[in-house]
Amino acid sequence: MNKQTKKAAAVLAALAATGVLAACGSGSSDDNGSVSGRFEPVADAPIGYANVAGEATLERPDGGTETAISLTGLKPDTAYVAHLHTGGCDGTDPGGSHFKFDPTGGEEPPNEIHFAFTANAEGEGEATARSDREVPEGEAGSIVVHLDPEAMTAAPSSIEAETVFVHEGVDHSKEGPGHGGAHEHPEKIACAQLEAETSEPAAIGPENTIVIENGEPTGGVREMEFQAGEEIAFRVESDIAEEIHVHGYDLSQNVAAGGDVEFRFPADIEGIFEVELEELGEQIAELRVEP
Amino acid sequence: MTWLPYAHALVAREDLPIPAWLFAWGASIVLIVSFFALSVGWRRPRFEEARWRPLGAGLSRGITGLPVQALCGAIGVFLLGVAVYAGLRGTEAPDRNFAVTFVFVTAWLGFPLLSVLLGDVFRPFNPWRAIGRLAGLGFTAIAGQGPRHLAYPQRLGRWPAAIGLVAFVWLEVVYGVSGGIVASPDPHTTGVAVLVYSVYALAMMALFGVEQWCRKGEIFSVYFGMFSQLGCFEVRDGRLGRRRPLAAASSWATVPGSIAMVIASIATTSFDGASEGAFKGGIETVFGWLTDIGFDPTLALRTTNTIFLALCFVGVGLVYLIGVRGMRTVHGAPPLAKLRAGFAHTLIPIAFAYLLAHYFSYFVFQEQAQFTYLLSDPLGTTTTDLFGTASGSVDYKLISATDVWYVQVGALVVGHVVGLTLAHDRAVAWWGDYRDASRSQYWMLAVMVAFTCFGLYLLSAANS
Repeated sequence: MNKQTKKAAAVLAALAATGVLAACGSGSSDDNGSVSGRFEPVADAPIGYANVAGEATLERPDGGTETAISLTGLKPDTAYVAHLHTGGCDGTDPGGSHFKFDPTGGEEPPNEIHFAFTANAEGEGEATARSDREVPEGEAGSIVVHLDPEAMTAAPSSIEAETVFVHEGVDHSKEGPGHGGAHEHPEKIACAQLEAETSEPAAIGPENTIVIENGEPTGGVREMEFQAGEEIAFRVESDIAEEIHVHGYDLSQNVAAGGDVEFRFPADIEGIFEVELEELGEQIAELRVEP
Repeated sequence: MTWLPYAHALVAREDLPIPAWLFAWGASIVLIVSFFALSVGWRRPRFEEARWRPLGAGLSRGITGLPVQALCGAIGVFLLGVAVYAGLRGTEAPDRNFAVTFVFVTAWLGFPLLSVLLGDVFRPFNPWRAIGRLAGLGFTAIAGQGPRHLAYPQRLGRWPAAIGLVAFVWLEVVYGVSGGIVASPDPHTTGVAVLVYSVYALAMMALFGVEQWCRKGEIFSVYFGMFSQLGCFEVRDGRLGRRRPLAAASSWATVPGSIAMVIASIATTSFDGASEGAFKGGIETVFGWLTDIGFDPTLALRTTNTIFLALCFVGVGLVYLIGVRGMRTVHGAPPLAKLRAGFAHTLIPIAFAYLLAHYFSYFVFQEQAQFTYLLSDPLGTTTTDLFGTASGSVDYKLISATDVWYVQVGALVVGHVVGLTLAHDRAVAWWGDYRDASRSQYWMLAVMVAFTCFGLYLLSAANS
């Protein structure tokens, strides 16, 4: 398996896992694939970091990457750095190796994603890092926080730090991590494993699959019941090209002749709603959303 | 069996049925409150006299004065014109055309609500009355004397309005058939219907006089006026005044045809509710028979629904008559004809409760459309945006399913208790002895409980 197919396979697997393929609506994938995780102290964290907690998120808007971390339970007025890693948080080497956009490239931003920030007097810290390149699906494993080896005592007043990595140009990080980037980070403190927020979408069974034959639903209008707050998921298989319209929620999708289309959306309006073939004006299903 | 969906062309969301537990609570409260109301001893009649008292002269002049009356009339005529124009010239999509929502939702459901709260507000806005009065003024100016009218046959009473009410609802819930399903009338039909009715109403006003026809025959004046009897504001001889709430209703039903009017009101709402549930099987069966003997589907569907609408009318009428007939068994009862007319007004609160329970959510959602895109783009051309609200939409999250349920059950329970109180009050007045009065009202109690439970049933899960 060459590198490209391997990468494609990884992307496909990640897409399937995060439900991008199954997402409803116009199928915009640019806002999908966000991952997040919670910080926990690593197994051999230094003394005094047992209460470290926080959140890490990684989003991929418009072909770029936006990563944000926020932590509590750090030491006051202390500088930290963090990096995006490819591995998970478990094991003897939490995080594994740093993520690199170009695996053969350097260990500095913009080829890697780094954060630098200083905790405030309460031991809280936040940082964001943006890159104009997209971290491929499945390659963002975790974010690991270290003590900043070069700025152990430096204490900028801001607790928030923002770093921007621009791939084409020079690195113009406002507060770039100036350290050498080598693997001599003294002490790992906390690690957040990044995972897709949406769990794998449940398969749509035959009871929620409406089959259209000759412009009519087989077996009559399908009645489907959902609880408010659940996800409404159903599939329409049609032998004619039509527009499927969900009233009330006002969602529409086109289906090709002989094709099928899936709807997935949160059940956030209570009541009884029709699903119909828009052109023929034929009702094919009734959604009941119970409070 | 042919499957018959029922589609509201206007609204994309329907209410969930009331769950069984709430149904049980509603029915229980009705029973308990009813017995309580009867037994605590309402020994003197309180609603036989309206006790109308004029309000401040300045306020009264402001509201009933000519400038305000002329302005209201002009607004009414203008909106009528917009509805007709939009119906005839606008889009044929019912949900995007001003005419359908304005006629069948905003005016039809809005005025009963306003009438109960504020009195007979339709009267100044009534476009036909405004045109008729203007025409009368013009006639007087030219001919030098007022127009002469035929004497209105008193025996007709409110029958023309009652029949008109059924015809109007028939147009709304039976006539509109599209693609083999019942839908609200299309905009063009609505526009034509409004025009035809306008010609009819103006002709009748010319024949019998504007005010006479508004009191007896003009569907909307009589219908909305009926609900205004429940409220506490009334204009008498050009003077605005306050009266005891509900009391005016007690003398409303003395005109012939009033019983038909209030029964038609309950029956039409019941039909609309039952056609989607309780009647569904029956409607499908009759529809099957009719198509089997060669009716085309549209005609078969209209005929079937007409039959069931008539059945509702007969059914509601029978229940009422049983209640009234039962009173005859109590010593000292007035003649049946007097009883029949004497208790008809007790159904007005029930009619209002049915209306509120069935159409509350529909009204709330559809009015959002009325005041956003239908106002800015009345013809549905998608190119007009008069007030910048053409891109508005209906927020279906505005009220939750549970809110709707509580309003429905609340309306039915309150409406029933008010109806029962009015009936008891009338009985006390007529029997004199409150014990006889209470005994006579066991029958009415049965009627009221029947109506409320039927109303709850129509809205409940048992009906779907």
